[in-house]
Amino acid sequence: MPGSFLTRRRQSLWAKSGPTPRLIFGSFLIATVGLFGLTRNDIFGLSFAWPHAALWGAVGWGRVGLSVRPMIILIIFGGIQDVIFHAPMGSFEVVNLMTYAASTAISAQFDITNEPLIAIVATVLLFAGAFLLLWIMASTLEDHPVRILPLFAAMLTTGLLYALIHKVFDLGRKPGEAAGQAA
Amino acid sequence: MARSGRSAQKGVRRSPKRLVLGVLIFGFAALIIAQSAPQISQFFNPVRASVGDRLGGGEQIGLWARLTGRAAQEQRIRELEAEVRDLSRYKAAAISMADRLEAYEEILNLMGEPPARGVTARVTSESEGPFAQTLLANAGRSQGVESGSVAMNEGGLVGRVIQLGERSSRILLVTDFNSRVPVIGEVSGVHAIMQGGSTSSGTLTDLPERSDFIEGERILTSSEGGAYPRGLVVGEVNKSGNDWRVKYAMSKGSSGYVQLIPPPTVERPISAGDLPAPDAVASPTQGARR
Repeated sequence: MPGSFLTRRRQSLWAKSGPTPRLIFGSFLIATVGLFGLTRNDIFGLSFAWPHAALWGAVGWGRVGLSVRPMIILIIFGGIQDVIFHAPMGSFEVVNLMTYAASTAISAQFDITNEPLIAIVATVLLFAGAFLLLWIMASTLEDHPVRILPLFAAMLTTGLLYALIHKVFDLGRKPGEAAGQAA
Repeated sequence: MARSGRSAQKGVRRSPKRLVLGVLIFGFAALIIAQSAPQISQFFNPVRASVGDRLGGGEQIGLWARLTGRAAQEQRIRELEAEVRDLSRYKAAAISMADRLEAYEEILNLMGEPPARGVTARVTSESEGPFAQTLLANAGRSQGVESGSVAMNEGGLVGRVIQLGERSSRILLVTDFNSRVPVIGEVSGVHAIMQGGSTSSGTLTDLPERSDFIEGERILTSSEGGAYPRGLVVGEVNKSGNDWRVKYAMSKGSSGYVQLIPPPTVERPISAGDLPAPDAVASPTQGARR
């Protein structure tokens, strides 16, 4: 059919790429953002909160269901975050994995592909839940309630940037799953 | 819209990945709790310290610098920064010592060394031929260089100006065979004359018979003869057979710049007939410093 042939030809490189390249590219983006986050976070003297980029992966990659490769990547990023933030080892792994699990559960329960409202609300809830979990964990481990404002600012930055680049973390289907095999 | 049917189907056949995820979350939560024990939390300290050094140590050359080929420049900048930090400590110490020295000289009514003035010049050419070993510097009479000025670099004494132009000056190196520098041992206080003739070390002649230098001590100019000010670093003395040899300090400096210090000037004594009347002098000590 000429129509479908043209449609196929117009597909972008991203649309044609499978979950593995997308996963690699998303990981690269997270690593890059995290690496730049180690430098001074201010532009023209105006300081700003740096996003917790690993949560983008946890939220985005969880939308296609559970898979081992995203889990491993999230654990690696979590370990790096533990060292950078001087958190007890395992803290960010738990946050990342629980956000990933929650994202998977929501996408399994609701049709987030065709319902934009649910998709937006779910994403907001996932980020809010992740940062709430992080606050609870930090407050418990530090033996005092930690400051909310920096975490809130980081949550806003993370969420706003995710709204712009969420397509980067859309795997299309599970990594390792062939096209048309998805349920 | 809820996916009741699909989730129900999925609920029946639970994925092993879900189990893996649950185990991982539980495992990491257990790890967090386990770290309340200092023995376990200390287990991760070396890893943290190592990663922290790499991330924020500041001593490592950045990836960007390596990629753009500026690693050597970065390294040099860091070395110079470290040197500046070191030198700033020395500067503070020198200022403090100069203040104290001035105070002591004031108390003793002692005629101290005149403060060093000088012109820094770039070495434009260096002759290492069979003739006189000289340097050509790009500062001359118009820059305030005087004939007989003493040339120093970061290491120590380099030589004396033997030829002066308007915008250039030729410096006879202390390594030249014809060079003679009156020197003194910094610790031993033994006087001698250092004779050039070799590019790496000079020979000490006219040594006293009863005293000797101390191996490894610094050799300074003694100001005898009035050609050089006192206390400029010339090198380090070493015994070589029966001879004492001075390893030149100037070979440590390689920046290509020299500082040209005016030669010391000693006022000629005036005849007794030209002296002012005794009543015009306020006190016997006053004026000794002028």
